Amino acid sequence: MIVQALAFYLFSAIMVASAVMVIASRNPVHSVVFLITAFFNAAGLLLLIGAEFVAMILIIVYIGAVAVLFLFVVMMLDVDFGQLRKGASQYLPLGGAVGLVLLAELLLVLGGWVVAPSAGTLALAPTPAVEQMSNTVALGHVLYTHYFYVFQASGVVLLIAMIGAIVLTLRERQGVRRQRIEGQVSRRRDEVVAVTKVRVGEGV
Amino acid sequence: MNAPFPALSPALPEIFLVLCGFALLLYGVFRGDRSTRSVGYLAVLALVITARLVIGGADGRAVTFEGLYVVDSFARFMKVLVLLGSAFSILIARGYLERENMKRPEFAVLIVLATFGMLMMISANDLISLYVGLETQSLALYVVAAMRRDNAKSSEAGLKYFLLGALSSGMLLYGASLVYGFSGTTNFDGVARLLMQGNHPSVGLVAGLVFVAAGLAFKVSAVPFHMWTPDVYEGAPTPITAFFAVAPKVAAVALFVRVLVGPFGEMVGEWRQIIYFCSVASMLLGSFAAINQHNIKRLMAYSSIGHIGYALVGLAAGTEEGVRGVLIYMAIYVFMNVGAFAVILSMRQKGRMVEEIADLGGLSRRQPMLAAAMAVFMFSMAGIPPMAGFFGKLYVFLAAIQAQLYVLAVLGVLTSVVGAFYYLRIIKVMYFDQPAPAFDGPVEFEVSAVLTVTGLFTLLFFVFPSPILSAAARAAAALVAG
Amino acid sequence: MLAAVVFLPLIAAFIAGFFGRVIGDRGAQLVTTGAVGLAALLSIVLFAQVIHTPTPQTIEVLRWIDVGEFQANWELRFDALTAVMLLVVTVVSAMVHLYSIGYMAEDPAIPRFMAYLSLFTFFMLSLVTAENFVQMYFGWEGVGLASYLLINFWYQRPSANAASIKAFLVNRVGDFGFALGIMAVFSLVGSVDFNDVFQAAPELAGKTFSFLGYDCDGLTVACLLLFMGAMGKSAQLGLHTWLPDAMEGPTPVSALIHAATMVTAGVFMVARLSPVFEYAPTALAVVAFVGASTAFVAATIGLTQFDIKRVIAYSTMSQLGYMFFALGVSAYQAAIFHLMTHAFFKALLFLGAGSVIHAMHHEQDMRKMGGIWKLIPITYAMMWIGSLALAGIPIFAGFYSKDLIVDAAWASGSGVGYYAFAMGIAAAVMTAFYSWRLLIMTFHGAPRADHHTMEHVHESPWVMLVPLLVLALGAVFSGILGFHLFVGEGRAAFWGTAIKVLPGHDSIGVAEQPLPLLIEHGTLIVALIGIALAYVFYMAAPRLPAALVARCRGLHRFIYNKWYFDELYQFLFVDFAKWVGFGLWKSGDGAVIDGVGPDGVAAATRVLGQKASGLQTGYVYHYAFVMVIGIVGLVGWFYFFS
Repeated sequence: MIVQALAFYLFSAIMVASAVMVIASRNPVHSVVFLITAFFNAAGLLLLIGAEFVAMILIIVYIGAVAVLFLFVVMMLDVDFGQLRKGASQYLPLGGAVGLVLLAELLLVLGGWVVAPSAGTLALAPTPAVEQMSNTVALGHVLYTHYFYVFQASGVVLLIAMIGAIVLTLRERQGVRRQRIEGQVSRRRDEVVAVTKVRVGEGV
Repeated sequence: MNAPFPALSPALPEIFLVLCGFALLLYGVFRGDRSTRSVGYLAVLALVITARLVIGGADGRAVTFEGLYVVDSFARFMKVLVLLGSAFSILIARGYLERENMKRPEFAVLIVLATFGMLMMISANDLISLYVGLETQSLALYVVAAMRRDNAKSSEAGLKYFLLGALSSGMLLYGASLVYGFSGTTNFDGVARLLMQGNHPSVGLVAGLVFVAAGLAFKVSAVPFHMWTPDVYEGAPTPITAFFAVAPKVAAVALFVRVLVGPFGEMVGEWRQIIYFCSVASMLLGSFAAINQHNIKRLMAYSSIGHIGYALVGLAAGTEEGVRGVLIYMAIYVFMNVGAFAVILSMRQKGRMVEEIADLGGLSRRQPMLAAAMAVFMFSMAGIPPMAGFFGKLYVFLAAIQAQLYVLAVLGVLTSVVGAFYYLRIIKVMYFDQPAPAFDGPVEFEVSAVLTVTGLFTLLFFVFPSPILSAAARAAAALVAG
Repeated sequence: MLAAVVFLPLIAAFIAGFFGRVIGDRGAQLVTTGAVGLAALLSIVLFAQVIHTPTPQTIEVLRWIDVGEFQANWELRFDALTAVMLLVVTVVSAMVHLYSIGYMAEDPAIPRFMAYLSLFTFFMLSLVTAENFVQMYFGWEGVGLASYLLINFWYQRPSANAASIKAFLVNRVGDFGFALGIMAVFSLVGSVDFNDVFQAAPELAGKTFSFLGYDCDGLTVACLLLFMGAMGKSAQLGLHTWLPDAMEGPTPVSALIHAATMVTAGVFMVARLSPVFEYAPTALAVVAFVGASTAFVAATIGLTQFDIKRVIAYSTMSQLGYMFFALGVSAYQAAIFHLMTHAFFKALLFLGAGSVIHAMHHEQDMRKMGGIWKLIPITYAMMWIGSLALAGIPIFAGFYSKDLIVDAAWASGSGVGYYAFAMGIAAAVMTAFYSWRLLIMTFHGAPRADHHTMEHVHESPWVMLVPLLVLALGAVFSGILGFHLFVGEGRAAFWGTAIKVLPGHDSIGVAEQPLPLLIEHGTLIVALIGIALAYVFYMAAPRLPAALVARCRGLHRFIYNKWYFDELYQFLFVDFAKWVGFGLWKSGDGAVIDGVGPDGVAAATRVLGQKASGLQTGYVYHYAFVMVIGIVGLVGWFYFFS
């Protein structure tokens, strides 16, 4: 248990520190790297509570896809974050105060942690012990039965996201040269080759 | 762990609609941009058939998908409104899309899918289905808001909406997680049962409720979560603004009402304070901030904020009469707003859309019918009898008085006086000001048809109010009792 | 029959007013004159009936107002008093209608004029037949309206506009008092019905009510308020300034409204309310005092005026003063008697003056007349009859009524009575003086009009002369014929319950006992003196007036300018009200009400609107920040306040 406790504090401390650095660092690339660090540590925390599926998903999706995408965007766009931050520092006192108030309020929520007595019995599908069933299997069981409806609906959400991406980005530009394979394949000799006799000294 | 296959028939309208959306998408993609018009008409047809399916569904309350989905009279009432609003929006958009070089079949498809998300929201019986429905809707809305991508304003609108929407979704999810954490369930019935057992709601649950309410308040654009509204309304293409002002509002109000009156019905004492505040703030801002606007779309944004404030008056009452008032208000709101936007869509000079209020100058002399229709909608929005808008306000204020929320009712009346100023100003501009350059004529067939329907509804509501009133009463009773 | 008398003029007014274009000038004249003439005939029959069977009766027309404890029916009250008034009003009105056909022949708006006249007659009749205060108030305001319309009949003239507005406003002051009086009566008695009020009056005597901490005698206050209404309508001193200006109206109007009928409404009202006034001796004393003062002041002004109609107007005012002090000494019968005789001879004088004006091409200034008696002999004769009656020369009507009034004032034996007697005698001298001054200046001496006018001086047409003759009959005989019935031995039987005089107040009874010779014939003696003086001044020694004026320039100017009443009012009320109004407009309405009220709220709304739209900066992080603050605020609210 001590090892677990130590691991918990280690992960938590690093995560909070990296989260602060995400905001504080001057170089945007550093920020994204700190973000990735934070994700890794969060995955570690999830592992500690036995949610290995979610932990792995976090690494694959958030680090493997989202964060890397962020990195690309940050490196490709010429955004002067220093400029942006100038405005932000102006709001720091007020923003910080509001943030502190919010933090205090949320701490109070946690301090008054009173779970309804019957809360446990209300859960839709109690998680079985790890010995009986792995996380992945358990999720699969619930996802395709109880949450069939929202699972399908999520599919629609993804479809919409796809449509949206296409609608907002795909455009046919005039004057852009493209490789038209069917044109290349289907063209015939007569259309492109003309045989002319060239006399010496006159040129074409 | 084999679960029985869920009963699909209660959800038939949603299933039909989403399948139609897929089919239209395929059709549109294969036919290309030429199919914009036919996809649009087919989408309207699909929406109308869906509405028919909703109305024709079995009476009473039905729960399916393991308690994630519920359909009752309340849901049916709101769904019909949403479907009507969407259908009207697609209809009046046709000419605009063709003229403004936005001929894309995805427009109608996205609206159909957004409408599907709204139907999900209205029928949500669980925090998870609520959230998924909300995101289905929102995502489609973000896209359509930015759809005019070569227009900086439109892109800005889409981006702003997206960013703030993400923030509000975060709040909603945080609240949902708190609710789950403190009650152990995400199901509405479960939460309601828990609260019904007489447990004093814990602080955490209250905090969760506040966050959920904040997320929903963003969607209905109630103050102080309204900030996106004016910019998005102004920036988005006009037919999309019309759509924004109608269907998502109705769906979000429906969701708001269902969440607060349903699972959290026992906590009315707590959430009434939130609604009270939002309502007062929305009414005040909606009436005062609109005074200075000269862009009519921006004005309509503030107007819709104000209208939400009035609708929330009924919700603040928290009684069956209050819910009925909200339903009537939203029904009338849909018709008035669609009509007003149909007029705005006709504001076109020399092939360009114009949006300034001053451009309406002297409209009564150039296009008397159009001016008369706009006057009817403006009178109605100002709440002047015997237009429909008056009755909407009447029922919510009555409910507030019955619930002894006198201050709220008085504030409502006072702010409608202020609000009447800018509605009447438009009428004054149309009827008494120097004529501005003429609008391009003639008004398209779809627009004039929609204008006729909505105008007659607004004008003659007081003659045949009973279908709407009784349906609203049934719906309210179903929600409050169930 | 009574209802027919009252409503015939209304119907005629309706027809002439709304269908004047259809039926034409002649039609309108026929309809209105016919209807009022018929009403006059019916009134004579009714009057005869009353002489035979003097039982009062009421005819209910409709239930009118029934609100809570307040009830007012529309009922016609009919007794001797009503009968006398009906007779006077309808006969004079019929004559004026007839006269107007000739006098207004060249006017472009004849139907309108005739309709107004008939409308006035209706209102006057409903006033005199009133059964309760509210109904009387209806008639009261109605005649005020008709008077306003008729004074302003020639609405193109600014002076007519000003005069009509003045008449209306001054009357409003009186009417306000009248309305307050009605309210006071209602609060005292709980009813506005005359019968109820009369029955309750004896018990109310001496009853006080508290107002702003003062205990006032209820009945006295009510009577004084009611008398204030009478002062306005009957142009008594203080509220009289409108009457001379009202002469801007066409002359027939002056004859009907501002001599014979409307201005006597106040006299009628006090007489009608004699059962109440009798129990308020203080109020009666005030009535007598105001009446006597009016009689004197008006007569002095009459001495100096040059406008023929204004002279007669001041004479009217003076005679009204007589009537009021008669009322004040409880000689109600004498007041009504004088009202009747005065109606005849004053209408005669006015119509005669109208005939002169008509002959002189609408010239009203007596300084530009003279020497026309041979040209218009009938008018001249009529004016003589009228003047003789006015001055109170025996046989003529005025003698009987005026003499009795002055005697009754003496006979009442009170201080106010003696004052009234003195004023009455003084006014009688002046009355005779200015009457003959008028006659002489107008008809005798060298012609002072230009040649052109003199050439065209002509006798009026018969349609104008016939009314003069009829009224002259009244001016000659109404005194002799009515004396017995009205104020003589038969008065108790004739009046019945219509007029109530407490036993100790019967001044007429005392006056008919032999009085000292000088007092008995005082009025006649002074009238003859007055006539003689006028003869000396204007016939025998025409330079005397100018010399006298030169000697007492200050006094003359004071009197000539009507005792500076208009200027005083201008200063006291008009200028003051303008000053207050201007101040209230600028500082009260403009700065406070508009500034804080509508304009201020509107401006504040605008500012708020600007502020509110200023919230919308366009920055996403501002928007997000607002949302976060919102949620923090809401959560915080639940922690700290719930």
